[in-house]
Amino acid sequence: MTATTGNGNILQIRNLEKTFPNGVKALKGVSFDVKKGEFLVVIGLSGSGKSTMLRCLNRLHDPTGGSVLFHDDDIVKMKGGEVRTLKKRIGMIFQHFNLVDRHSVLSNVLTGALSRTGSMTSILGLWPEADKKRALEYLKLVGIADKAYIRADQLSGGQKQRVAIARSLMQNPEILLADEPVASLDPATCHSVMEYLKKVNRELGITLICNLHFLSLVRQYADRVVALRGGELVYDGSPSAIDGAWFTKIYGEGAREVHVN
Amino acid sequence: MSTEVAHGLPRRRFSIKSVVADGVFFGFLFIVAFLTIFPLSDEQTLDLARNLLIGLVSFLAGAMLSFGLFQAGWTTLGYMIFRRASDVAPGETAKAWFKTFWGFQLFLTLGVFCVVGFQVTEFSFYELLSTDGFEGAKRIFGALSNPEPSVFAPGFLAIIETIFIAFIATMLAIPVAFVISFFCAKNIMGGSPLGLFVYGTLRIFFNIVRSCEPLIWAIIFSVWVGIGPFSGMLALMIHSVASLAKQYSEQIECISEGPVEGIQSTGAGFLQTIWFAVVPQVVLPFVSYTIYRWDINVRMATIIGLVGGGGIGTMLMMYQGQALWNEVGALVVIIAVVVWLMDSASAQIREALK
Repeated sequence: MTATTGNGNILQIRNLEKTFPNGVKALKGVSFDVKKGEFLVVIGLSGSGKSTMLRCLNRLHDPTGGSVLFHDDDIVKMKGGEVRTLKKRIGMIFQHFNLVDRHSVLSNVLTGALSRTGSMTSILGLWPEADKKRALEYLKLVGIADKAYIRADQLSGGQKQRVAIARSLMQNPEILLADEPVASLDPATCHSVMEYLKKVNRELGITLICNLHFLSLVRQYADRVVALRGGELVYDGSPSAIDGAWFTKIYGEGAREVHVN
Repeated sequence: MSTEVAHGLPRRRFSIKSVVADGVFFGFLFIVAFLTIFPLSDEQTLDLARNLLIGLVSFLAGAMLSFGLFQAGWTTLGYMIFRRASDVAPGETAKAWFKTFWGFQLFLTLGVFCVVGFQVTEFSFYELLSTDGFEGAKRIFGALSNPEPSVFAPGFLAIIETIFIAFIATMLAIPVAFVISFFCAKNIMGGSPLGLFVYGTLRIFFNIVRSCEPLIWAIIFSVWVGIGPFSGMLALMIHSVASLAKQYSEQIECISEGPVEGIQSTGAGFLQTIWFAVVPQVVLPFVSYTIYRWDINVRMATIIGLVGGGGIGTMLMMYQGQALWNEVGALVVIIAVVVWLMDSASAQIREALK
C-alpha cells in the first residue's frame, strides 16, 4: 500500500461530471483531493450528488467527464478487468447494508474475497481456509464473531452494517466508501457503527470517504468535510468551521440543524 | 365541474390507445347492428374480403365516434381504461358510475356481447332439459359411478407412467429454463443493445412456444418420434421450458438491486454476482414454481395421452372410443385421486417453503 501520487493524496478528483441517460446532471464538475489515511465526510442535501459521486469513485456508475487519479491511474478511463481490480481495492458499505439475506453472516463476509477467488471455486463454496480464518477475525474486529453462523436476515440494522464493514475489509481495501452508513439506524446504534468506521480508519489506516446527514456526527468523526449542493462543490475544509452562514449556504434557506446524540 | 375549475383547468389528454379500444367497443356494436338489419346470406358468410371490410369500416367508424365524443367532452369507456392517473374526467368524478356515459357504454357492450354469445354457443334450455338428453346423461353417469374393478390394476400402472412422463418433462425443463431465464430478465440483459436484442428475441420466441398448447406439441412429436410416452414427455418438456423460463425470469426481474450492488462493489465477476446476489433471492420461488409445474404437468399428461402421448390418457381414449363407460369410470376415479393427492402435496410443500 504505497501511495505513489505525490503530496500524500490518494485521490485527485478533477472536474468530475456525471449526466444520467435521462438528462439529469448529478455532478457538474467536482474537484477536490483526498489525503491518504484521512476520514473525509461528504455532506449535502438528498439529491445533491453525494451518492452518485461515491459510486463514480468505484465505478458502480460510469462518470461522463473529468478525471479521478488513484495511484497515477485515471479511474474514469478504466475498462473491463481494470474496473474489477479497482472495485477490489476500494471497499464500499451502503445505507441499506446490501447483504445477501438468506446467507450466513460468515458467507456474507467471505463474498468480500470474491475478486481473488475463481468463479467455480466460489460458486462451489470452496473458500480457502486462510480466507475463512480472516473472515472470522474481521467479525471479531467488529464485535459480532458470535453471530458468524446465523442467517444475515436475523441481525439488527447495526449488526448488519458491521457485517458489511467486515465484508469490505475482506477485500483489503485502500479506501472505504460509506454511503449514508447510519441513515437507517437508530441514534444509539449510529455511534457504534461510526466508532467501528473510525477504528478501521485509525487502526488499519484505511482512507474513509463517508456520506453523512447529521452535522453533529460530522463534527465528531470527520477530519475534513466537503459539501455538495446541486452537483457542485460548495465547501472544502474543517468540520469545526461550518458556522451558521456556511450551514445556510450548504443546506439552503429555511433548513435547521437536527442533532443526534 | 366547478370543483375542478377551482383547481385550474381540468386535464384531458388524448390517447391513441383509448381511441383504438373505443373503436373495438363501438365497432362491435356497429357490426351487430349491421348484421341484424342485413343478415348474411350463405354465400356472403364465406366472403372473407367483404366481411373484413365490414369489420374495418365499423372499427374506423367507432374510432371516429370515440374521437368526436372526446372532443365534445364526453368520457368514453376507452378513455376511462387508458387515462393516466393525472387525467381527470370532467363532470364524471362527482357522478355515480352507473349514471356516467362510460358506465352506460360498459353495460350496453357487455349486454350485447352476452346476447351474441348465447346465439353463437347455441345455448338452449330445451336441449339441456329434454327427456332424451336426460336419459343419455343418466346412462353415462350411472356407468361412471359403477367403475369396472378389473381396470384398476392396469389403470394404476398407466397413471404411474403418466406421473413419470410429467416428472421427467419437468426435470429436463429445469436446467434449460434456469439458464434461459437469466437471458429473459430485463434487469440482467438491459445494460447493452445486444443484451436487449437477445432479451427481446427470446421473449417473442417463448411467447410463441407457450401459445402453442401442449396438445399441439404432442401431435407434432407423435408424428416425429412415434406415438407413446416419449412424444408426450417431449411435448410437456417444451411447454414447461417456455412457462418456467417466463415465471423464473419474472422472479429475477423482481429482485432487489441492493445485494447486486453490494456484491459488485467487492469486484466480483458476472457469474459470481449472479450466483451470490441474484440466485439466493430467487431460489425459493423457483422451487415453488417448479413443484407447481410438475403438478400441472401430471394433469396435462392425462390430456396429452388422448392424442397418443402415452400413460392413462391413451387408455382413457381407448375405452371412451369403445363406449365402455364402466371402464372409463374406473380410470376417472384413479385420475381424480392422483390429481387430488398431487394438488394437495404441492400446495403443502409450496406453503412450507414460504
